[in-house]
Amino acid sequence: MLDTTKTLCLLSGVSGFEDEVRDYILERVLPYADELETDSLGNLIVHKKGKVPGDKRVAFFAHMDEVGVIITGADDDGFLRFDFIGGVDRRVAIGKRVCLGFARVPGVIGIKAHHLVSREEEKKIPSLSAMYIDVGAPDRKSALELVCLGDVGVFSDQVTEFGEGFLAAKALDDRIGCAALIKLIESELPLDCDFVFTAQEEVGARGAKVASARLNPDVAIIIESTTAADLPEVPEGKTVCRLGEGLVLPYMDKGAMYSRELYSALTALCDANNIKWQTKGLIAGGTDAQVIQRSGAGVATAAISAPVRSLHAPISVAKIEDFETIPRLAMLFLESLVNETPPSFHATPPSFRA
Amino acid sequence: MQLYDLITRLSAATAPSGFEESVFARVQELLAPYVDEIASDALGNLLAVKRCGVPDAEQLMLEAHMDEIGLIITGFEAGFLRFAKIGGVDPRVLPAQRLRILTNPPIFGVIEALPPHIQETGEEDEAVSADKLFVDVGLSEQAAKAKIPLGTAAVFDEAPELLAGERLLGKALDNRACVAILIKAMEELAEKELAVNVSLLISTQEELGYRGAQTGAFALRPDRALVLDVTHAATPDSKKGETVKLAAGAAVGVGPNLSREISGKLLELARKKEIPVQTEVLPGSSGTDAWVIQVSRTGVPTGLISLPLRYMHTPSELVSLKDAECCVRLVTEFVLAAGREAQNA
Repeated sequence: MLDTTKTLCLLSGVSGFEDEVRDYILERVLPYADELETDSLGNLIVHKKGKVPGDKRVAFFAHMDEVGVIITGADDDGFLRFDFIGGVDRRVAIGKRVCLGFARVPGVIGIKAHHLVSREEEKKIPSLSAMYIDVGAPDRKSALELVCLGDVGVFSDQVTEFGEGFLAAKALDDRIGCAALIKLIESELPLDCDFVFTAQEEVGARGAKVASARLNPDVAIIIESTTAADLPEVPEGKTVCRLGEGLVLPYMDKGAMYSRELYSALTALCDANNIKWQTKGLIAGGTDAQVIQRSGAGVATAAISAPVRSLHAPISVAKIEDFETIPRLAMLFLESLVNETPPSFHATPPSFRA
Repeated sequence: MQLYDLITRLSAATAPSGFEESVFARVQELLAPYVDEIASDALGNLLAVKRCGVPDAEQLMLEAHMDEIGLIITGFEAGFLRFAKIGGVDPRVLPAQRLRILTNPPIFGVIEALPPHIQETGEEDEAVSADKLFVDVGLSEQAAKAKIPLGTAAVFDEAPELLAGERLLGKALDNRACVAILIKAMEELAEKELAVNVSLLISTQEELGYRGAQTGAFALRPDRALVLDVTHAATPDSKKGETVKLAAGAAVGVGPNLSREISGKLLELARKKEIPVQTEVLPGSSGTDAWVIQVSRTGVPTGLISLPLRYMHTPSELVSLKDAECCVRLVTEFVLAAGREAQNA
């Protein structure tokens, strides 16, 4: 799963432009899938049969897209104007390298030399309209020969293992989830499952909306990456979660109140099987759950997340042992659905029909 | 060696002010074929001489600094590293930046960014000051303390990258690009007959206030000096008067910090030999080693050729390779002409 994560992080997949990631995943899962489909938003949906069909329709979700930039203009001197796709803090973008378009044109988000910056200016972050990308083009015409308006770009792509089992890369959010889903698809499953690699999570869970409408699952498990602020200078109450403390099982975030039954079932499975877990100490962030849970007549939804520092930054950091246990927990959960009395996910709705 | 290869090799050296040993070794290796002698001094400067064989010939010193800006580890907090800056680093480029921490072997680190959710609304317009930032090395505090002694330096971990229009992106192009220019010029001059003794001062600690140049120039005692450094090229966020143009040739400095004769000679040579140049007017200090060299001992007439560069002191500085070629040609022509002024007159 580590190698898959590393490979996935190197691919470009800004929201709405997930092609490279989807193509890679498609190739990886093709030998193991019973059925594959894509839809108009670019979701990739994989159906895989298990030992038994199962009573409930279970679907796993992970999003393929990442945050990035989109080119909106070029000036006379060849500098490109841009906007962000997804939530990028301008403070992490300054001075960072990007590569643009399918041709991966290299460039940098420039900032003038520190010598030319006043003490007042140093304390302020330039507005987006004052920021620009330099691709080395001497004028507008040459710039627009290299990139077109609407081309998207990602932060420069390197993956580094470091320290005592840490991983630094862009797009850990949510290629970790994609890698976990691939690992599950490659395994022998206790029951039939659907796996959805969603598009456009970072711009408002757009892909998950149509995918859950198509599948109409009973149970949805979202594999995500969640923000860890376990840094000095951050007060204890705002750290959310910590690296090295295991996978994260949220009970609530800004987008969803997770199924209490599933939350209890997952935490119990972790405890019974010595899987290190933590929950979030602050209601922050959101996942595809915000739309999946409210899809159709409602879906029992849970999330299993990896704690990640500097989420949405050009380089984010995860601890490998925190996320390598995710597929195991997912598998234990599936086994529990077959072997044990499953938790009741929701009351049977009243029938108004005769 | 191609100028591009020289620049990228030198850019890859990890040597902030006071920690120049690794770049010293690299410069020594690259320069050795073209000089008679290489020495060092107490501040770690590289001093070299190429003699011309003419009795009582003038000594012309070519100068460029080899240190780069960086960080230095000053403490530990829950396994993360505290740091201070070496030289003028804009704290706004630091969050989410990769670092190479200069232990042996080097250790990879990341300056973690404070996530937006713990900030108040509107705070994304405010820069995070450097004292609120920490380096993540993925180690427990105990392991970090054992592996990384206080006072260990760190540099940006960024590889050179060639952009469109023969433009090069990379760390420490200030001033490794100019060190490369001098090495390339010495290569060009290798087989030429010279009328001056050429000395080279590849100095240390420029970023902390021209410290190496002060002792190096004293030791070499040149008759004249020609300094190479980078200067600010225009960007959309800079003001017009404070920059030169990228890809418009070498910048020749003029002003009180510099010898009018040398500046004039450089501009004249550029015109005669059709080398693209632009004039950079410097009303006070040039902000380069020329500031201390000019007043070394009893005074040294000093000239300055600057390579235009964007995004100075960030992890991704940008230069035009064409500009760098212009600098090589101008240095070469200046050295060839030196010592012959009298006979030509």
